[in-house]
Amino acid sequence: MAMALLGVALTLALPCHAQPADDGDLAAQQAEAKKSFREGVTPFVNTYCTECHGDKKSKGGLNYEAALKNPGGTASRKHWKQAQANVKAHDMPPEEADRQPTDEERQRFLDWIGKIKFLSPKDPGPFVIRRLTKAEYGNTLHDLFGVDPAVAHELPDEVSGAGYLNTLSPLQSEQYLGIANEVLDRILAPGEAPPTEVQKRLFGEPPAPGADLEAAAGLVARALARKAYRRPPSEEELDVLSGVFDLARANHLGYPAALRLMLKAILVSPQFLFITPAKEAEPGRTIVPLDDHQLASRLSYLVWATMPDAELSALADGGQLHEPAVLEAQVRRLLADPRSRALFDGFGAQWLGLGELKSKTFDTAKFPQMTPAMRTAMVDEARLFFDSLVRENQSVVRFVDGDYTFLNETLATLYGLEKSVTGPEMRRVTLTDANRGGILGMPGILATTSFPNRTSPVKRGVWVLEQVLGEHVPPAPPNIPALEKQDQNTVANLTLRQRTELHRTNAVCANCHKILDPIGFGLENFDAIGRWRDQDDTGGGIDAAGELPGGKHFASPKELKTIIAARKDDLARNLTEKLLAYALCRQLEGYDEIVVDHLMDSLAKDGYRMQTLIIGILTSYPFANYRIQVPTASPSHEN
Amino acid sequence: MRTNFLIDRRTCLKGIGASLALPLLQTMGWADSTQGKPFKPPVRLGFMYMPHGVIMDQFWPADPESFLTTPPPALDSLRPVLDQCLLMKGISGVPIAPFNGAPHALELSTWLTAVLPDADRRNQINIAISADQIAANYVGGLTSLPSLELATMPQTHKENQEGLNEGYYSHCSFRSPTQAVPAETNPRSVLNRLFGKSDQPGNLTQADALDRQMLDLVLGGARDLRRKLPRDDQHKLDEYLDSVRSVERRIAAIEYRQKEAALESAGVRASKRHASDSPPIEIKIPEGDKRSEYMQVMCDLNVLAFQTDTTRVSTYIGSTPNGVSYPELGFKDEHHSQTHHNNKPGQVAKVAAITAFNISQFAYMVKKMHSLREGEGTLLANCIMMWGSGLEDGNTHGRENLPFIVAGKGGGSINTGRFLANIKGNQGDLLTTLLACAGVPLDRPIGIATQQIKEMRNV
Repeated sequence: MAMALLGVALTLALPCHAQPADDGDLAAQQAEAKKSFREGVTPFVNTYCTECHGDKKSKGGLNYEAALKNPGGTASRKHWKQAQANVKAHDMPPEEADRQPTDEERQRFLDWIGKIKFLSPKDPGPFVIRRLTKAEYGNTLHDLFGVDPAVAHELPDEVSGAGYLNTLSPLQSEQYLGIANEVLDRILAPGEAPPTEVQKRLFGEPPAPGADLEAAAGLVARALARKAYRRPPSEEELDVLSGVFDLARANHLGYPAALRLMLKAILVSPQFLFITPAKEAEPGRTIVPLDDHQLASRLSYLVWATMPDAELSALADGGQLHEPAVLEAQVRRLLADPRSRALFDGFGAQWLGLGELKSKTFDTAKFPQMTPAMRTAMVDEARLFFDSLVRENQSVVRFVDGDYTFLNETLATLYGLEKSVTGPEMRRVTLTDANRGGILGMPGILATTSFPNRTSPVKRGVWVLEQVLGEHVPPAPPNIPALEKQDQNTVANLTLRQRTELHRTNAVCANCHKILDPIGFGLENFDAIGRWRDQDDTGGGIDAAGELPGGKHFASPKELKTIIAARKDDLARNLTEKLLAYALCRQLEGYDEIVVDHLMDSLAKDGYRMQTLIIGILTSYPFANYRIQVPTASPSHEN
Repeated sequence: MRTNFLIDRRTCLKGIGASLALPLLQTMGWADSTQGKPFKPPVRLGFMYMPHGVIMDQFWPADPESFLTTPPPALDSLRPVLDQCLLMKGISGVPIAPFNGAPHALELSTWLTAVLPDADRRNQINIAISADQIAANYVGGLTSLPSLELATMPQTHKENQEGLNEGYYSHCSFRSPTQAVPAETNPRSVLNRLFGKSDQPGNLTQADALDRQMLDLVLGGARDLRRKLPRDDQHKLDEYLDSVRSVERRIAAIEYRQKEAALESAGVRASKRHASDSPPIEIKIPEGDKRSEYMQVMCDLNVLAFQTDTTRVSTYIGSTPNGVSYPELGFKDEHHSQTHHNNKPGQVAKVAAITAFNISQFAYMVKKMHSLREGEGTLLANCIMMWGSGLEDGNTHGRENLPFIVAGKGGGSINTGRFLANIKGNQGDLLTTLLACAGVPLDRPIGIATQQIKEMRNV
């Protein structure tokens, strides 16, 4: 109860621009979750689980004692997710256990676990500082100085994801310094030559003879740092810059050369290379809203992959950006700008798994079509399609049942449309074949989910479940039993489908494969690079028929798509969760689930439209607020 | 008894402190025998990795006696230098429960740490400093680069097996428990980094006289910023601080080279080299995309870095555990899919070919080292080069007898030319032994280690 009151008090103290949850409801839901936990989950775990996963026993590395004591804790969440998956799949309790729950008990347990999220305290999570990505860094240099963003092309590409990996090799700092030199060489006049236009804009007019150079440099430093750090610099930060200016002057550099060294220092500073919080939070507060400068950067880097423009910066300086109407209008403005393609390049490509398509190996003897031009066209198709759904504010469901796509001559050959689509430029094409359309019928995606030389129904099934419907597919168990110890002659005569179906004769494999295999086989009419076919490699006819849980039958990709498109809520929830995690640069935790629930409510009312989804996330409680983590006295890292 | 390799932590810290306190690069002239002491080249330590295990009956020798005369097929490429190699069977990997569903995410990340990630913070990097970085901490201050991390392909694979951070899939070097060290994949960048040779924009070849002092001021400001951050974020700034410090050192190296070059052109011979040493090898960066040529240039860079004492520690991820294929071998199948071969001859043959291919690149490197004179012996004699995999058998994910080859005598500490068929030890024991042979003092065993493997050493 004390926790619930605290939650209310905090939200009242905040500017309530991003308030999804009705906290009165939340308190009631918490009370109910506590009750059902006490009366439902605890007895179930004690009856069916503790024999192996409690009382100091941790079979499979799992012990539920701590989770029972603190069910809403972050560490407990993994335990509940695991229990949910295993109990749902009838993997647990194991067959040899003395007691088995009835189906009804099982279902009730799963329902209760669904409520555990209400035990999480209201928490926006920490603000994760992070380094600018290669693309963001190049774009930011472009916006600051007008240089080609390709100046950053030598930087390594990064690995990103929900658990954003923020490593920085020694080489990289070296490259930052080298690139800073290169940029300064391009934009500043050499030696005593007259200043360039950019130079005049950055450094202002040269001070008159006899003027106080240090004071003049101080003003330049303040203006440059405000731009490059995307927020007003602190006095300490300005001291560092004037120190650099003094260093240059003490070594007899002229005024322009000293400013150059100062600008170089800015470009290798963590305040430029990282997205950092502006100022220290007031002591005593635990949850605070992002200040307007942080909000501007967060928005701008997410949607445009570059620094805030003049309009966003002015709104941040004026302290207006967090006002709900202003914020929403800005998100719409950002989305309408062509730079919002960054949302696909940064998020969409990663979500759809297209990032690896460029370098993926294909059997070139079998698929000579997979040229660099074809790969580029495949990614462009997905990008333009994604972009059109956002720009035209269409429903999330169109990702599955869209009836148009974007093709050029190269890509049209895979669709058999090379007669009507000619020329190298991509253009919108309406599709008449309902097997096509949407991401499930898109060659780029069908190719990334294949092996180099053949399709993989298992990979495609996993991809649809995890990336499209947001389900968790447990990894294959170790020591996979050898399917083909059986009579080799019998196996040799089977089709790929029949062979894969052997999985389902084995109880260990069957639980998962009975769901994912049918989906994969439902897409077997598309070969490993996404061309339509009626026969597989062995010459046998394609059997795309299957059944999904709940007795839903399908006989073609078109019918499979119809079944999946009907799961609107799952499609929207999956995309919402993935984009929210990407926007926050962290995995989702307990309270985030409640945030997503509320976003889902408003989305459903609005027909699951894309801009509504994005605006919902970009104005959500965890996006606009953060929990202050106490700076711990970890060992100092100085020599 | 662990005491045989445990030394007082203070001694160890003193070692590090001393090397950092020395004027940069003044210590580089290891061949200076000014005090009339006998000249002894330093020991260098290299690691090279292949994922997914081997075909066991084509890797393990039949018995110790036949090791040198009729080695198994996988080791054929090493024939000319087998007397410089040591093979040990019986080294077990880290047991991976509770991460049973993550054999491939862990084979690489446990390879040099010999320990599992922290299960409660599995979505972040939280493991242990790796053996190569422990060595780099100790000897890295003596060279212009503390260590070199190379890989053949970019680390772009993303997969969260058992909820583990995808970084575990693609890293084996960890500078601290929370900092994975990314590997360089571009030979041109590596060459530039080692020797300041570049024609590309954005590379540092010229030292700007004031850059070092400017960076010092920036570092001061960064430390102020760090103090205000919560712990997880401090780690990110630590990476930045480490990275910038190594740039400062690089600039010092460039300045040093410029000075040396000036002296040399003025007729003063470089002090660094011993009269009997071979001249530095040449690096040719291949034009095409042939895997063997690409791996060989990475091996050459490793050899050159050791030969010129630019670094004393290297780690080379020869292949990553993710759908890598080997078109050069005449088939397109992905490595991983073939390792689940269920003993089908066709797939077994492909895995054997991939293994032999990887080992032959390692053989290329160590044979080259063996051909280079250094002091009274060869470069290889002063190195410890370890090749290995994180699994024994990719088909069953077995980790009972991890395949490891050690080449080089480590300056006389390792007794080579043998196959030790019946060792009892684990991966941590092996790493601990190798670091001890390289003269790196340890204040605690590595990962799950409990002992040194004495049979490997010269007594």
